[in-house]
Amino acid sequence: MTHYSSGSAASLGLASCHRCGKLSDIALKRCGRCHSTLRLRIPNSIQKTLALLITGLIFFIPANLFPIMHSEQLGVIESATIVGGVIILWEQGSYPIAIVVFVASVIVPIVKFIILFWLCYSVHFNPSVSSRERTVLYRVTEFIGRWSMVDVFVVAILVALIQLGGVLNVRPGLAALTFACAVIFTMFAAMCFDPRLLWDKLANNNVPDSDTRNIKEL
Amino acid sequence: MIETSKLNGSRLLSSNIACQHCDFMMAEPQLQPGQVALCPRCGHKISRLRVNAVNELLSYSLTGLILLILATLFPFMSFTLNGNMMEITLWQAATEFYIENYKVLAFVVFFFIVLFPGLILMFVFSYVGTLILFGRRFYSPIIVSAIFGLLPWAMAEVFFVGVLVSLIKLTTIAEIGIGLSFWAYLLFCLCYVKVLSLIDKHQFWSWMDLAKKI
Ligand SMILES: [Zn+2]
Ligand SMILES: [Zn+2]
Repeated sequence: MTHYSSGSAASLGLASCHRCGKLSDIALKRCGRCHSTLRLRIPNSIQKTLALLITGLIFFIPANLFPIMHSEQLGVIESATIVGGVIILWEQGSYPIAIVVFVASVIVPIVKFIILFWLCYSVHFNPSVSSRERTVLYRVTEFIGRWSMVDVFVVAILVALIQLGGVLNVRPGLAALTFACAVIFTMFAAMCFDPRLLWDKLANNNVPDSDTRNIKEL
Repeated sequence: MIETSKLNGSRLLSSNIACQHCDFMMAEPQLQPGQVALCPRCGHKISRLRVNAVNELLSYSLTGLILLILATLFPFMSFTLNGNMMEITLWQAATEFYIENYKVLAFVVFFFIVLFPGLILMFVFSYVGTLILFGRRFYSPIIVSAIFGLLPWAMAEVFFVGVLVSLIKLTTIAEIGIGLSFWAYLLFCLCYVKVLSLIDKHQFWSWMDLAKKI
């Protein structure tokens, strides 16, 4: 008796190489094409994902509490947090930019945390949401994660560009570093999550026709 | 279960692949240019072969590389306020962090916006190029692994959005000048995004098998 869904390669003892995708018998231990170690699933995928997610969350808290940059104009220092920066942009009337920064640095990380935590939870406690829909959610987290870095790059440019002696200076704040760390750790978390776990407990009736040819013209 | 795999082993392995997102096993798609294969169970894109993929990969990766090198040579942006002018190169987006003692961030920014996208274009050009010229290459598995390992960490297009955001942020308070490197980086980004749309994991690895058979 196997705990892999029927129709899956793992249920036949075949491993799809995580690096090159070649299908090999798990007994071979190493992939014949790229020599990486063969595994049916990412080992300890959920534990690793959760550990990296929690690390990311720990970095995400100071990223929102501390200033992301300090600007010094004629001796007066003003510090802005991520959300504070968005509010300033909004008050200045730069609505599109305020929305871009708010989505990239607040909405995207929070959505990513929620989806990944929930996906980890859903592997053990089968929810009503189908495997296919949860796989789509996983693909969303994979795609959106990198866009959070926008604000860090904005700080990088402002810090480099606005260096006018005593007139106007911009310096980076602690949040720039912790926010970048939070993004990097959640990206690693998404990489450690094995979406195939979402399919492993499926009953047999979820297998599509074997001769479904899903080849389409672009 | 092991019995099944022994019985069908060779036939299953030579012509079948499994979806990377749901492990559903299917026949390896034999795509014509312009076709895309999706997993019948989860909808994951198994492979996509663009029309004229090889030629476009070669030309866009080389053009992108040249543009990226140009982008590091000239002024990127300038900033003028009350007669004081500050001009920066692309390098300074990273080096200023280093000077401000945010050394980790300096490396992160340099790797994400210049080094990784550049390495990807270089690897794509050398892999596809040597495949066509010599049919086989010693370090192909390492190069192809490197391309796909670096992909999530190359953020050229994200950086460009950041540049646009800071441009709009600053135009209200000062006079902003745009340098030659800005345009070079913009064109590089367009080439890079084009290369991204042409790169296909399944195709890249199976080209290597084809090369070995020759
Ligand atoms: Zn392999
Ligand atoms: Zn699938």
